[in-house]
Amino acid sequence: MNQIDRLLAALLWLLGVLAVAGITHIVAVFALPEIAAKDTYARISELAKPGQLTILPPSRPDKQVMPFADPAMVQSVCPFDLSQGGLRLHADVEGDRLLTFSFRTSAGQVFYSMTDLAAQQGKIDVVVLTAEQLEIVEGEADEDDPSQDLRLVAPEPQGFVFVSALAVYQSDRVDAEERVKSVACAVEQVAQD
Amino acid sequence: MSLATAIAIKRGSQARATILGEFLSAGCIGVLLGLFVTFVVVEHGRGFGAIAAGPWTGWPRNGTSDTDPYTRAILAYSGEMSLSESEGMSFVAHGDSKGAELDPACDYVLKGEIPSARYWTLTLLSPAGAPIANPAGRPSFTSSEVLRAGDGQFEITLSRHARPGNWLPIGDTSKFILVLRLYDSELGSPAAALDSASMPGLVKSRCE
Repeated sequence: MNQIDRLLAALLWLLGVLAVAGITHIVAVFALPEIAAKDTYARISELAKPGQLTILPPSRPDKQVMPFADPAMVQSVCPFDLSQGGLRLHADVEGDRLLTFSFRTSAGQVFYSMTDLAAQQGKIDVVVLTAEQLEIVEGEADEDDPSQDLRLVAPEPQGFVFVSALAVYQSDRVDAEERVKSVACAVEQVAQD
Repeated sequence: MSLATAIAIKRGSQARATILGEFLSAGCIGVLLGLFVTFVVVEHGRGFGAIAAGPWTGWPRNGTSDTDPYTRAILAYSGEMSLSESEGMSFVAHGDSKGAELDPACDYVLKGEIPSARYWTLTLLSPAGAPIANPAGRPSFTSSEVLRAGDGQFEITLSRHARPGNWLPIGDTSKFILVLRLYDSELGSPAAALDSASMPGLVKSRCE
């Protein structure tokens, strides 16, 4: 082998390394949310059961459920697993106090969000469903008495609903917790045929 | 078998072994390099679509379903649940208005316009997003808590030591960041129109 051959061989080897590195990087970036999602879902499922709204403990310097949480917000989570049925969320909104809802995949990505301002006549009624469950529910719908529910199709069967209320003053925390607790979150059976 | 043929076969298998070795080394080093780059990106990366105004940076697309794969990976890795689009918008400051990194030994004054929102909160956190213990037990200010002058203007002083007026204690830390959250803000999608005059400034005053 002369020098040019060696140089070409080394160049080819380097290109090979870069190609493998590039492919690994792309695969890792796409796989990471999947891997992390299992971790997040498991971590939150330890604190809250599916179909149950649970208030998350406030962040402390040595222990936080989620980084970058707002200490002025009382946060609660209701995990859902649509293989056991749909998820119904009901809230009665009173007064002009901030209550936020975010519907997320198990990796934490938002697929729908709203605040108390979206309430119709002081009520928020949301049902989270899979695409198949939505078809069943729509097939059963009574055309003369249309449902006021907001039906959301979740992109994947597992996920979370985060419900948060702002404690405008530090002394308002108990009140904000009460507002969060007044939100109902429950598994809703969808008739299978 | 003649000696010449035997030598030729031996050379051939040697060459094959060398080529195989090079393939394997390229594969292994490539995988390691790819994983290392991914780690650096998710550990230090900030994702795309950032908007900056003065010392503040925000990622308006993080709370939507329209995020890029990098942002998804970064958020999933950190475990952060970023504010959703209809909840509001959050901004982070790692430095002051002049771009110098925030130093806990110094006092800072935050003042100026805050984009219109139903409520806002200003929180002091560690760069990893953990609250920092402080003797006053105040981790943040909300728009309702802040004391305002007659014309509605206000100043918040960040300091390790008690200060009159709106005092946000820095606590015992070597580094800190500020997070400004605008709840139910009208920023939403036209966030790109944000400029530094519409966001509060962060001015360093005396240092220890």
